[in-house]
Amino acid sequence: MKAIKRDKRAAIAAVLPMYIFTVAFIAGPLIYMLVMSFLVRDESWGITNELTLRNYLHILEPVYLETFKQSLRLAFITTLFTVLAGYPAGYFMAKLPPVWRGRCMMLLIIPFWTSSLMRMYGWIIVFRANGSLDSILMALGITDKPLKLLYTYPAVAVGMIYALLPFMIYSVYASAEKMDWELVEAARDLGASRFRAFLTVSLPLTMPGLYSGIVLTFIPSMGLYFIADILGGNKVVLVGNLIQEQLMRVHDWPFAAALSVILMILTTLFLFFYRKLSHSDKLEGLV
Amino acid sequence: MNKRVLALVCAAVTISSVSCVSQNTTQQVTLSSEQAAEAVAEESAAASESAEARSEESSGAETGGQLNLYTWEGMFPQEILDGFESDSGVKIDYINFDTDETMLAKLQTANGGDYDLVIADDYIIETAVAENLVQKLDASKLSNYGNINPMYQGQFYDPANEYTVPYGAGVLTLLYDPSVVSLDIKGYGDLWDASLKDSVGLIANYRVINGVALKVLGESFNTNDLDTIQKAGDKLVELAPNIRVIKDDALQNDLLSGEISAGIFYTSQATSAKLENPDLRVVFPEEGIGFGIMAGFIPSNAPNAEAAYAFLDYILDPERGARCFEYLGYYSTFSASDPLISPEYKEFLTLPDGFNSDMEMIENISAEANEKHEQIWTAFKTASGME
Repeated sequence: MKAIKRDKRAAIAAVLPMYIFTVAFIAGPLIYMLVMSFLVRDESWGITNELTLRNYLHILEPVYLETFKQSLRLAFITTLFTVLAGYPAGYFMAKLPPVWRGRCMMLLIIPFWTSSLMRMYGWIIVFRANGSLDSILMALGITDKPLKLLYTYPAVAVGMIYALLPFMIYSVYASAEKMDWELVEAARDLGASRFRAFLTVSLPLTMPGLYSGIVLTFIPSMGLYFIADILGGNKVVLVGNLIQEQLMRVHDWPFAAALSVILMILTTLFLFFYRKLSHSDKLEGLV
Repeated sequence: MNKRVLALVCAAVTISSVSCVSQNTTQQVTLSSEQAAEAVAEESAAASESAEARSEESSGAETGGQLNLYTWEGMFPQEILDGFESDSGVKIDYINFDTDETMLAKLQTANGGDYDLVIADDYIIETAVAENLVQKLDASKLSNYGNINPMYQGQFYDPANEYTVPYGAGVLTLLYDPSVVSLDIKGYGDLWDASLKDSVGLIANYRVINGVALKVLGESFNTNDLDTIQKAGDKLVELAPNIRVIKDDALQNDLLSGEISAGIFYTSQATSAKLENPDLRVVFPEEGIGFGIMAGFIPSNAPNAEAAYAFLDYILDPERGARCFEYLGYYSTFSASDPLISPEYKEFLTLPDGFNSDMEMIENISAEANEKHEQIWTAFKTASGME
């Protein structure tokens, strides 16, 4: 009896640090942010103790709704293109012999050894006037003068797709790699065409990977504001950019907090739909 | 085996995303710090200089006391700092801040103590004075006080000249490349010209750029009238087709590389662009210009105010002042230093004679007006992205 009690105490002692950590560093800041989003900003900077709903009403201004629309639009475009490029890549990677799979995986990991900020500056070299892309296009005779490629919407989209593509490839690969390829062979033996076998067997079996890939690209793409800053010349205003500006320049912390709360609600909703659609609460291959 | 690979991938991704986020935060902090900080970003040596200054200080702090100098990185040439140390026997502890707001927060925590001399932007000094964190200056202790250019005195943050010594002024500088712009740009209004489609760059300070639109409409930078601010916003949306980039960080490089052909820059950026390409044209806009002033003040409970006086008097010397402004790349605020500034800098570090009318500073405004400003700014940026 005593031994059990002691065990229990030991177990509590073992998990206590984790609980304290969670409360102090995750729940604490979240609550702080939530409370702040209902407060009034001070005249120059800081906050007062007055309660208000003004910050949330403020978000309904057309100009700020537009920011949310822009963010969702860019997230949608990014996700669409990462699916189009990442799904086949992950799928065929799983079909490679093991040695090549390892090498491909390595190639995908290597870019993460440098900061993603650095890699975005790399894209500037590609896109800038008389940069690499311009030189190639002009050398091929496709264009005769430098194009204005940097600081455009497509430049931002390319940066986003580039940054998030690996996540899609990993997820699809994880799914496809676990798949029982004999099922595809069976379908083929029973007379299904390659395409039909893919649609009826491979695709449904790799769906969980595709779903988690979508989650892993869509949600971060709502927050990667620095790409819009660097490649979009600050002209593509996403929710992330707005939050950053409210914090750093305008010093309207409560409004920034309210924007963050709404952004978190949006991403939570998205995860909720993901679970409904995929009938799973795990992210394939990553959890 | 596969699980292990995936675990590795996850780890790599997590680590890199965390490091990216943290890098990005520092990046943003640098971006958002006001004019001076980015002037100084290029001075890669400055960091090591201040580190040196600090290590020296720890070895010989007991001789002649210590000056706790609190300002942005790279505000003084190393010769000046070294010269002061050897002339006065006072050791300098050069402490940096990134943004004015950080400085104010630290000063509040220290209750006006810890630092002997602070150099910061005008608007934050107004707040610091209001919070009783600044002590009155005894001008009789500054033998070179008369060298200050009176044009930069008596401004909103210190109307009776009781607290501050101005050290460097930044003017919103209109700069263009005449080799690609056919237009003869005379003022901000010319940036709206259709021939500049998709080729204008702007710094990312919303009060400054909104202020430009207000100036074009003949209004004040500091109006609290929401309708007027909205009108400026409508005017800005008309500028959207011409906008190529809006950013604080090294905008001059876009002008030098031909990405943009005209724009509104910080003084320090204009300085570095002109040094690189002397053919660029600096314009004093016909609408009148706005400027920001950096100024030094002694905190209310400064541990060694005498050292602060000694240092201020040291840099107020005409010759030393000139060296400081050349290094800093901001307008000289000491009239006695103006004639001593080298010719290559003169055109853009001193104002032309008679140019002291129509000057207005950007001041703190009401919270509602500020909110309106932020709103028209977001609308303007979004409109620029749609083009």
